[in-house]
Amino acid sequence: MKTRVKRFGPVDRAFHALLIVTFLTQSATGLSRMFIETSWGKGLAGLFGGYNSALTLHKYVGLVMIIGFLAHVGHLVLRIGRHPARSLSGPDSMLPRFADIREFFQHIGWFFGKSPHPKFDRWGYWEKMDYLGAAFWGMLVMGASGLVLAYPMTSTKFIPGWGLNVALWVHRIEALLAMTHVFIIHFAVAHLRRHNFPMDRTMFEGSTSLESLRHEKAGWVNRLKQEGVLDSLLVSESGLFARVLYYTFGCAAIMCGVYLLVGGLLNSGRITW
Amino acid sequence: MPIRKRQPSVAAFMVVLTLLFGSESLLWCPTAWTQEEVASSIRRYRQRELSTGYYEEYEVKPRRQRALVEIPGVRGGFLPYSPSAAAAVQIRTRLADSHRGLKFYERRRCEDCHVQETKNIHTLRNGLTCRQCHGVEPIASINYYYSPMNPVRRHAYVCSKCHEGANASFAAYIVHAPNPALIQTKREFPVLFYVFWIMITLSVGIFVVFLPHTLAWNLRELFQKRKDGTDHEDQG
Repeated sequence: MKTRVKRFGPVDRAFHALLIVTFLTQSATGLSRMFIETSWGKGLAGLFGGYNSALTLHKYVGLVMIIGFLAHVGHLVLRIGRHPARSLSGPDSMLPRFADIREFFQHIGWFFGKSPHPKFDRWGYWEKMDYLGAAFWGMLVMGASGLVLAYPMTSTKFIPGWGLNVALWVHRIEALLAMTHVFIIHFAVAHLRRHNFPMDRTMFEGSTSLESLRHEKAGWVNRLKQEGVLDSLLVSESGLFARVLYYTFGCAAIMCGVYLLVGGLLNSGRITW
Repeated sequence: MPIRKRQPSVAAFMVVLTLLFGSESLLWCPTAWTQEEVASSIRRYRQRELSTGYYEEYEVKPRRQRALVEIPGVRGGFLPYSPSAAAAVQIRTRLADSHRGLKFYERRRCEDCHVQETKNIHTLRNGLTCRQCHGVEPIASINYYYSPMNPVRRHAYVCSKCHEGANASFAAYIVHAPNPALIQTKREFPVLFYVFWIMITLSVGIFVVFLPHTLAWNLRELFQKRKDGTDHEDQG
């Protein structure tokens, strides 16, 4: 029985899975080096073969992330080329709109019972912020500062050596921002909410239940009905084995993230910044 | 047969002159033959590197400046050096022995006085000791002309021991970087200070908005009354 609405294709899901694995690896190797003065950091670094090996892994996985980012941009260009108007404007676009600001304040009003729940369209403002913040701002800042630090002999031919001091702090603060954002805000929205608990498997399965969408994305469902394309987007729920796999992978990622978050917070006062 | 008096030739005069000036060159700074120094970033490195030339300000001019033992804030005047203030902190930027005259120096450890300088990545995380970079006793001042740590040759003599291929620009990395959060860093290292606070402001701004937002959202859904099997009965 087709009870779910297709939201993501296999390429998007593969990119997200790759991002989970690489982001957690970068978080663990980066934190192991940042916290190497503590026993927690030493234990974490031990998983990767020590302080120096953790850096080697950090650099290679960072390159994989940059290649993945470039591949994602290439994929986007191909998709935008097919439907430029719909991709760059309108409710199907991931680019911010004025409606997002209105929905943001209306949503806050709903939190406190002051206004009705906004009829979100295909993308909520929090999803756009996650995507644009993580995939673009985060990747650009982390990728650029990471490359400067990973290849200092080459980068100091173009910038002075004290630029490495600046790049290190940019890399650190942006990494902490990205980790705390993902491990607190993203996890709380996508997993901890009663609506999604224990996990929203949309990004793994590629589809969301129609019942759930009627409540959270009423604007999108209404639009699909008006356009007469809702039925064509309906898909069946995935098999039991696939669902078990999604939950296992997703929950393992959550536990890794929470472990890194709690360990980092508990030990944050024990390192020299 | 009259003895012909030999006249000093021009060639002999040139030999003497060469020996005279040549002997002086023996007193010059010993250079590593394969590692040239940054004599002028304008003439040399500027041709190959795109750099702001930050390291240029560190360059020294031998024989034009005195080896100074100064008191902070008293850089000129009739008596810039005061023996009575010898126990106070002094600027010893160009001394062959930067710790000259310090009482009980032999019984002290570097970190006894240089507390803040030990808190850096090289020391804490890579286990380097002070002497691995600053050399053996007598430890010369950074800007002492013959010091390996002098910025004209630091990249070749010190940095490249671990960082193979280090250039002069690379050696401008500030090992003893100041705490970027402190207000005095604004004067010492303004780019680091401003970049740090811009990034912190961005991060704090995001959390100030989205942490309460996420908490309120979770609480709203948690205490949402169920009516007709829906969570958002009031969504209109």
